[in-house]
Amino acid sequence: MQADYTYHYLHNGVRLIFMPTGKFKTITMGLFLHQELSPELAALNALLPSVLEQGSRLYPDYLTLQRQLENLYGADIGTDIIKSGERHILAFTMETAHDKFLGENGRLLHDGMSILGSVVGDPLVIDGAFREDYVRQEKNQLIKDIRAMLNDKISYALERCLSLMCAEENFGVYKLGRIEDYDKVDAKGLYSYYRALFARNPIDLYVIGDLEQKQVLEAAEKVFSFSRNGEQRNLHDTDIMRPVDQVRFHEEEMSISQSKLVLGYRTYTGYQDPLYCAMLVYSGILGGFPHSKLFMNVREDAGLAYYIHSRLEKHKGLMVIAAGINYDERDRAREIIDRQLEDIVAGRVSDAELDNTKRGLLNQLRSKQDSPSQLISFHLDSSIGGKTYTIEELTAGIEAVGRKDLKAVAERITLDTVYILRPVKGGSN
Amino acid sequence: MTGNYRLIENRELQETLYHYRVHPGMDVYVLPRPGYQKKYAIFSTRFGSIDNRFRVEPEQEFTVLPDGVAHFLEHKLFEDEGGNVFDRFAALGASANAFTSFTQTSYLFSCTDNFEESLGQLLDFVQKPYFTEQTVQKEQGIIGQEIKMYEDHPHWRVFFNLLEGLYRQHPVRNDIAGTVESIARITPDLLYRCYNTFYHPSNMAVFVVGDLDPGRIGCQVEENLAAHKHKPMGAIVRQYPPEPAEITKQRTVQELVVSEPIILLGFKDMVVGDLQGRDLMRREILMELVLDILFGSSEALYNELYREDLIDENFDSEYTAEINYGYTMIGGETKDPDQLYRRVMRAIAGFLKEGVSKEQFERHRRKILGGYIRRFNSLEFIANNFLSFRFKGTDLFQLPSVLQEVRREEVLALAEENLDPDRHAVSLIVPPKES
Repeated sequence: MQADYTYHYLHNGVRLIFMPTGKFKTITMGLFLHQELSPELAALNALLPSVLEQGSRLYPDYLTLQRQLENLYGADIGTDIIKSGERHILAFTMETAHDKFLGENGRLLHDGMSILGSVVGDPLVIDGAFREDYVRQEKNQLIKDIRAMLNDKISYALERCLSLMCAEENFGVYKLGRIEDYDKVDAKGLYSYYRALFARNPIDLYVIGDLEQKQVLEAAEKVFSFSRNGEQRNLHDTDIMRPVDQVRFHEEEMSISQSKLVLGYRTYTGYQDPLYCAMLVYSGILGGFPHSKLFMNVREDAGLAYYIHSRLEKHKGLMVIAAGINYDERDRAREIIDRQLEDIVAGRVSDAELDNTKRGLLNQLRSKQDSPSQLISFHLDSSIGGKTYTIEELTAGIEAVGRKDLKAVAERITLDTVYILRPVKGGSN
Repeated sequence: MTGNYRLIENRELQETLYHYRVHPGMDVYVLPRPGYQKKYAIFSTRFGSIDNRFRVEPEQEFTVLPDGVAHFLEHKLFEDEGGNVFDRFAALGASANAFTSFTQTSYLFSCTDNFEESLGQLLDFVQKPYFTEQTVQKEQGIIGQEIKMYEDHPHWRVFFNLLEGLYRQHPVRNDIAGTVESIARITPDLLYRCYNTFYHPSNMAVFVVGDLDPGRIGCQVEENLAAHKHKPMGAIVRQYPPEPAEITKQRTVQELVVSEPIILLGFKDMVVGDLQGRDLMRREILMELVLDILFGSSEALYNELYREDLIDENFDSEYTAEINYGYTMIGGETKDPDQLYRRVMRAIAGFLKEGVSKEQFERHRRKILGGYIRRFNSLEFIANNFLSFRFKGTDLFQLPSVLQEVRREEVLALAEENLDPDRHAVSLIVPPKES
């Protein structure tokens, strides 16, 4: 059963993507506002969802809002800020159990959507500003979140590598922005920024569940009726072509027991690239699975690491390899890693590696259709990447990848930055 | 052939589960999920990190294990004479994995194609141990890195430091992966000894979910087990040391690189050893209600603490109940752990005086019901939790009826008994002092 979808445009230009399907227990909705990623605006973008979630005109404080959600059988509202390529996306989601499991009669779509609409489009405004105390409080929380990046050493090392590697690009900014920018934000300024964003930036609204198109459209028109004026903004594309003059090395010390090695590469292959599927297969063969070269050689054969993998940032055209190792074994680990990349360039890829990786990717792709949030993020990729693939198209694309394509993308891969977070010198290994 | 099965129905969820009992005494559950692309299977044994002292009837002598054997064995099953098991799943397009908890070890895969072949692989590799000196030695290096990774993980450390503070004897106080020293004592013989005990099908269960035909799966599992020719085995006797009511250490502090302190408060449950099945589930649900009413985001305390900048949105509380042990944990990241600690303790004392309103109780009950239904979107959630409850003697599908059954009057008495200040401890992670 393929979860198909239909597009509709609300009168104010919000694009509604409706996916009718009876297989889930839930009704899932998500509203996503697209903005360009930039160091200057990142803090403002990150603040907006957090402040809006604190209270709306109808539910003026967090406690009131949470009680309303509990009465709706523990419906869950979530806000987030997503960094994907050089897009910054303000995310607002709502998930409720479906009425048919609760003896309710169709009110959960409407009531759930009303709460979401109230938070997104009908905020609490006093004298042309958000509430001062909410803004202050959320600034504080987000600054704490930025500092707390330090707590998870694996993701800290990854973020450090990417920010050093892309220091001169918009992509280099952390998704929550820079701490110093939070000082400059006030409740009035943030509200005018909100008005400007919601007036002209592209907005995608998703609804997934066992629902009738007519009821969804009617509810959405009624709930998301905020006015938008002027022409929708065109956002510029992510820059993926930055050349590498020479490899940069960064080593930082921290009081930890295990070193975290992160290697950042440029792939020069974005979402629209005819070789995009070949890039997926490449990263899969290298380090996407337990059968991949990195796992088999660095972990299973040499026993140097517990975790080692490669991942793509598909919209920015980057690839990272990450591993937790002993500092003393870093050169040996790097050597084995380099050899795996060379092997792919030289065509030393077995039929099993190629076929199994394709099968693994197809399994991941098809599995996305069984999760409402993955259905949404798959479709969001088309908005971000400026190209729409259906699951069938990607399936065919992956199946068609040949050794020539693989070699072509392997030759594009360029190491840019080597980052090691290491234990303090003189401390234990 | 397996013509015999029992149906387990759940009216709220509109689900029907097929239960087969196959020779020699293993439970197999199949939940059809029409419309799903993904199929998921999990094969679990009741062998976790706490099962470190056991004998098999009619033996008299107990085998005592170093810490970390269950987890080590899990890693080692992925290798046999034919090489790496991951490759065989990869060839079928299936994604395999495994995990070890305090009480069980589970092997699993998900796929969208070749389900029956993949299920055959899962059943076969788990029933085929292969341990040599050399492979054991190599694994000591890999798991050594896994242990080091967790040493750098403040939320993991704060949790185990708290368990060490709460428990004096019970092995739940020991890290699941063991230590670099304890795993150095693991040998192939020891692994075979554990394997031959805990991996007998009578100590295991299978759960399968997806767009599948239950009858075919029941037969496949039965035939597969028959081919492995399992002999009957005596009952496994596990021994856990008696746990005194007293805690070990009221306050544990560890320095790690963190942005601000992390605090976790814990209460040791002394009743759970006598409970299982529906009674244990009832206790879990009541405690979930207690904690949600005390610390949930829709109540005054959470909102006050958040406004005063003492907590962030990850502040959490949770109750865990196994047949052998149970505990409550409350905490998160905070700039002022002493103040947060006092507020939490004061809230518990106040709760016992003021009680719970009918409106509160019903609202939180609704929330739990809705959350339960929503989680049934996830095949992994259903399968993993079904087997966990099964091993505790009950059934995940019973949850809505138990939830309807519990009464407001029970909440206070349970909170008073279980959140006893005499059995609580605190664990703290703090940033290193500037040197």
